[in-house]
Amino acid sequence: MDCLHNVADQFWDQLRNGLTLGSIYAMIALGYTMVYGVLQLINFAHSEVFMVSTFTTLYAVRDWFNVTAPITGGKLLMVMVGALIPAMIISGVLAVLLERLAYRPLRRRGAPRLSFLISAIGASLFIQYLFVLMDGLHYIGPIKLPAIAGPNPQAVPELFKTSTVFHLFGTDITNKRIMIVVAAGVMLFILDRFVRLTRLGRGIRAVAQDPEAASMMGVNIDKVIVTTFFVGGIMAGAAGFFYTIVPGAPAFWFVGFLPGIKAFAAAVLGGIGNIRGAMLGGLLLGVVETQSSACFGTQWVNVTAFVVLVLVLLFKPTGILGEQVAS
Amino acid sequence: MSDKPPVNQKQEPSSTRPQNQSLTRRYEAARDRSKATRSAAYARFRKAVRKDLEPVTSRWRTFRGKIEDNRKWAYPLIGLILITIAALLPFLGDWFSIPIWLQRATNGSVLARTALFVLFALGLNVVVGFAGLLDLGYVAFWAIGAYTAGIATGAHAYLEGGSVGPEPTWHMWMWAILLLALVVATLAGLLLGSPTLRLRGDYLAIVTLGFGEIIRIVANNLDHVTGGPRGIRNIPHPEIHVGGLNVVWGTLIDTKYYWLLLGLVVLWIVAIRMLDNSRIGRAWVAIREDEVAAASMGVNIVRMKLAAFAIGACTAGVGGVIYAEQINFISPPTFNIQQSILILAMVVIGGMGSIGGAIVGASAVVLIPEVFKSLDDYRFFAFGFAIVLMMIFRPQGLLPSKRRKAELVGASQDQQLYEAAGGSG
Repeated sequence: MDCLHNVADQFWDQLRNGLTLGSIYAMIALGYTMVYGVLQLINFAHSEVFMVSTFTTLYAVRDWFNVTAPITGGKLLMVMVGALIPAMIISGVLAVLLERLAYRPLRRRGAPRLSFLISAIGASLFIQYLFVLMDGLHYIGPIKLPAIAGPNPQAVPELFKTSTVFHLFGTDITNKRIMIVVAAGVMLFILDRFVRLTRLGRGIRAVAQDPEAASMMGVNIDKVIVTTFFVGGIMAGAAGFFYTIVPGAPAFWFVGFLPGIKAFAAAVLGGIGNIRGAMLGGLLLGVVETQSSACFGTQWVNVTAFVVLVLVLLFKPTGILGEQVAS
Repeated sequence: MSDKPPVNQKQEPSSTRPQNQSLTRRYEAARDRSKATRSAAYARFRKAVRKDLEPVTSRWRTFRGKIEDNRKWAYPLIGLILITIAALLPFLGDWFSIPIWLQRATNGSVLARTALFVLFALGLNVVVGFAGLLDLGYVAFWAIGAYTAGIATGAHAYLEGGSVGPEPTWHMWMWAILLLALVVATLAGLLLGSPTLRLRGDYLAIVTLGFGEIIRIVANNLDHVTGGPRGIRNIPHPEIHVGGLNVVWGTLIDTKYYWLLLGLVVLWIVAIRMLDNSRIGRAWVAIREDEVAAASMGVNIVRMKLAAFAIGACTAGVGGVIYAEQINFISPPTFNIQQSILILAMVVIGGMGSIGGAIVGASAVVLIPEVFKSLDDYRFFAFGFAIVLMMIFRPQGLLPSKRRKAELVGASQDQQLYEAAGGSG
């Protein structure tokens, strides 16, 4: 009874929270789903691409622009762009590096799928602990690692003040939430157009359907794969930036783990390999998660995504919009 | 499900019109040339070394041949010798004057920890190495075993709510609890495996990754059952009182835990070897190499995968009980995702599908940070890196199983598989 009462009480609040969180999940899920589409690989290190973006944001905001208190006007715009663009580019480059160093050698050899997964989880652990070790006290051989991360979370300074823009169904819609949902929407729209309309996008879809036929038709598979990783990395970079604004997450070496698992669950929910599916799945998972946290209590919030994942796998393994993967 | 064919977009460097070649093309040609020279030099070097070592290798080969011919008594004999050496390791420091780093490695509690992880690696090796399933939440079953011990002994009620309850005194019953945990962990494995093993293989990896985290969250949240974040303390140590035999296990540093775990490891090795050479073991090989072909030959794929998954789970459950009894205190943060990946690293470094590999891998992963204390911070970093390197350069591991090597290395696969099959009988 408590559950229903709470859900009815907080429905619109939680729906709002869910949509904000969900648009971030959707952006991460895109990276998983696109890579899965072309390589049939769960890129476990994708959550680290996201994690690195929180650090880029921290450094851009705190050290490059010296923001300590909330700012407004033209400076705010400059800082936002000046943090978002590097966060996206660095994450994109990291994703491409991962492909180059951890997956391409295996691809060249035609290694079994298990090898890819193991390499991915190894790379994930490696990047996480590289950030733990970067506290200015540790060495790799003769090289002293710079003090940019370390084992403790570091709060990202608040960029601008939260203010309510309007009320809807008795819940406050704040400027931050509007910004995230709008920005995510715009990016997802651009990505969707990119994949549907451009030559490279067509290449991505072709490789996802049938890599052998695509390469015979003159699609450069390596180029497609690099593009896929780069685009996925960019989206994860943007997601990391927004994640430090609305849940107000700190820059932390382990910050990527849970959003990573949840985003993959979202990708499966929408239909793996399906780009629109990832967007839908992300939003849906965000809403389900926040509503169920009202129902069962916040301490169980991280269990929801997992239960959703198992239920989807049990009853509709192809997801809501259907999977698009070469079999 | 089929692997992608290697796609090679590179074109042959044409030597006729070098002035028209692009920079990339020229770079690639130069790279290929240097690669060819390097590999030729390496081949010459290997050939020379092999020639110099010929007397040694030929003697070794005849020795191996003799063992193979008399495997009926030679294998158990070698096993017995190895077990004796392993069992006497704690006395190494008493009998000989050994350097400090070796003393650290042969300390009772360090050896017990090594044996515990060897047990875990053996269990995970059945899942990853034999059946080819990636379990990234192996720590969950370890936690289930440990919490079964904590809850079944009533240790969780001790000190509950500030008032001291009856101190748990289930010392003799700890053996029954070992069996109970084995059953509980197996059931948990079946419960998690039965919906997910039917699906595409790689979904299992993410589901188990999630499951590992869920078990930790559940242990953290169910205060009245698991003690929540405070954990469970005063888990009784095991004891044996049968007839005139009285054995009492003491605190953490008691070397008897090492012997107990060593016994379990030996038991497990024998059991796993038997399994591997049985109908089930052959079914696992068939599934790993070609699921469709295996299914059409009448192998029940889901049941065989479930068997591997459950065997892995029960191994971790048993290890978890001994862990809880030895440490005598358990709490949720111990059972984190990094431990799962560390155990995976042991299997990968040692060699997937190889029992000797699991032992070597687990010993290396536990003992190296133990011996070089200053490297302890770098543990996860280095082993994460090692996993990637192994996958790229030596996917078969340090101590490979013949058959698995042929599968993982890939080149001229059929030929190697044929040889491996002929070689192992």
